[in-house]
Amino acid sequence: MNHLLIMLPLLIPLFGAILSLFSWRYVRAQQVIGILAQAFMLIASFLLLFDVNDNGIRTTQMGSWPAPFGISLVADLFSSMMVITSSIIGMAIYLFSIKGLDKARQTFGYYPVLLILQMGVSGACLTGDLFNLFVWFEVLLICCFVLIALGGTKPQLEGAIKYVTINFLASGFLLTGIGVVYGILGSLNLAELAVLVRTPVSHPALITMAGMFFLIAFGIKAAIFPLFFWLPASYHTPPIAISAFIAGMLTKVGMYALIRLFTLVFVTDQELTIPLFTVLAGFTMVIGVFGAASQNDFRKILSFHIVSQIGYMLMGLALFTPLAIAGSVYFIIHNILVKTNLFLISGVVAHNRGTFALKKLGGVYLQHPFLSVLFFISAFSLAGIPPFSGFWGKFMLAKAGFEIDSFVIVLVSLAVSLITIFSMTKIWNEVFWKNKPETDPLDDVVTAREKKDNRLLHLPVLFLVMFILFIGVYAEPVVSMAQLAAEQLLNSELYINAVLKK
Amino acid sequence: MKTVILAVAIRILIPIFIIFSVYTLFRGHNHPGGGFIGGLIGAIAFVFHTMTHGPQQTVDTFLKINLYGYPRQPNQSRSLYLMRMMRVNVWRRRKMAYHPEIKERMIRVEPIYIIATGLLLAAGSGVVGLVFGQPFMHAYWADFYIPIIGKPGTPILFDIGVYLLVIGVVLKITFVMSEE
Repeated sequence: MNHLLIMLPLLIPLFGAILSLFSWRYVRAQQVIGILAQAFMLIASFLLLFDVNDNGIRTTQMGSWPAPFGISLVADLFSSMMVITSSIIGMAIYLFSIKGLDKARQTFGYYPVLLILQMGVSGACLTGDLFNLFVWFEVLLICCFVLIALGGTKPQLEGAIKYVTINFLASGFLLTGIGVVYGILGSLNLAELAVLVRTPVSHPALITMAGMFFLIAFGIKAAIFPLFFWLPASYHTPPIAISAFIAGMLTKVGMYALIRLFTLVFVTDQELTIPLFTVLAGFTMVIGVFGAASQNDFRKILSFHIVSQIGYMLMGLALFTPLAIAGSVYFIIHNILVKTNLFLISGVVAHNRGTFALKKLGGVYLQHPFLSVLFFISAFSLAGIPPFSGFWGKFMLAKAGFEIDSFVIVLVSLAVSLITIFSMTKIWNEVFWKNKPETDPLDDVVTAREKKDNRLLHLPVLFLVMFILFIGVYAEPVVSMAQLAAEQLLNSELYINAVLKK
Repeated sequence: MKTVILAVAIRILIPIFIIFSVYTLFRGHNHPGGGFIGGLIGAIAFVFHTMTHGPQQTVDTFLKINLYGYPRQPNQSRSLYLMRMMRVNVWRRRKMAYHPEIKERMIRVEPIYIIATGLLLAAGSGVVGLVFGQPFMHAYWADFYIPIIGKPGTPILFDIGVYLLVIGVVLKITFVMSEE
């Protein structure tokens, strides 16, 4: 049962994708398979989370090869929280793409690739092996390439090439880092690496060097400050269903890997890493939010905000106290949900108006008051206004920062919050509040069919807002779970014992 | 690229490639070889055929199954009809193809279905372990020994899955590239 629960988040999307391949010509069948796979995935990941919450870290060994030799899959609280979040937004994206994605793209293998992408996310979160982690990131990269280029319009191909080139570079760094680690320590199993780096080794500086390779690789994947340029250049090109999943999930998987490695393995040289992370976190936040402030396109503003929010997650890692790591964990979960939802809302607006440019939009509040409320909740969550989810993440991070007297980074993060509100207000003013610019009245005629489509498009947004409200208003269980996850991350004994002593 | 030399040569080479690829597939568990390299070697046969005769011809030769048949007579029993159809399709294929009353039905094997079958076999071989409460991809071996194949077990199934997957992917790539 133990083995099955950990494998299910990988197997359900895999078999879903295989069945979708068999029904290649029948989009309707692929949609049915898709909804079943997403529903099972949601149930399976909830079961996994409850299991891990009750029984501590669970592990399984692929092919029954014992721990340091075979590939381990490890589910601790952080990874199962990631899996559950990815299955929630997978469900939302799936619901959105039935009506929100054009038929041509759906027939060319959108559903199988989306499922494989979800499998890649689960795999990257659950694996306990360094090389396996690399393989899962390659799966993510290939699927993203296909999804961004799917449809083959000119801006899409441009974005896809930028995305793939820079991410290939990241994969190169990652592989080099893995090679260096294997050369020094002779193992790739994360638990055994954690043991080996804590025993006295002959070249502590080399391990730090390997750590920097990983920092660059995952820094590119997670869009940290000097390495984020690819993100705003590629995330706004594909259709919204695709860019919402990629924008919501993928950078956070990079962040997850960074947190996992720098709490478990590369902890030997913290005099170097912690100041470095602090500086990077500060710059990521500030540059991202200023970039967003200067944009005039719904999706580009949101893309730059991804960069800015990554800074907060890195800030938790930079402070390196239990509360700060808990803040990071909570913030990642919150940000995946909110960011995906904001992208989906921009998709709904664009589905009705046919544009993302702020200048041409307006008057959405009059036409879709309910959508405006949903946007209001998501935007205020992103900015961190008290009853909503962003507040708790920022509160934990700021409190942790004050506890260890890192005032500068806390002040920077609070200032960035203010500018985030400015950006969200800008979107609110331009898209929802201001009067609609003069257009051809024929565009405004809404047929009954469009009305029905619109209602279906609201469904995933509502679905996500439910979760956002839940983790915001009823934050207690989620926050305490994030704190437990942080404890598990910082007491690497737990991880090592779970993997090696079985 | 239609050359006589290649066209003649591949008639001999194709069976050799395919037999060698199957051999590589089955020796792969303990020696160099396995599903991936076997699949690549097997795919060379099809790539050569496409290079000489074009993709349409390759599909017609290898990936198309023609079924022959005629409508069921009113007073004919169903089982008798099925037996006739089997006889038509299995034993007397060549002769029936030119029979005036016979209708033809064509089944094309798309590469995408080969890919899906391969994936299903490979992933399914891993699930066997999960069903019996063992970790994913836990290997089960039979007790007996088959001459060329060796001991059958779930890892063989995985390798066959990879073999089909690689052949399917290479075929798909070849067809798409040669159509341009």
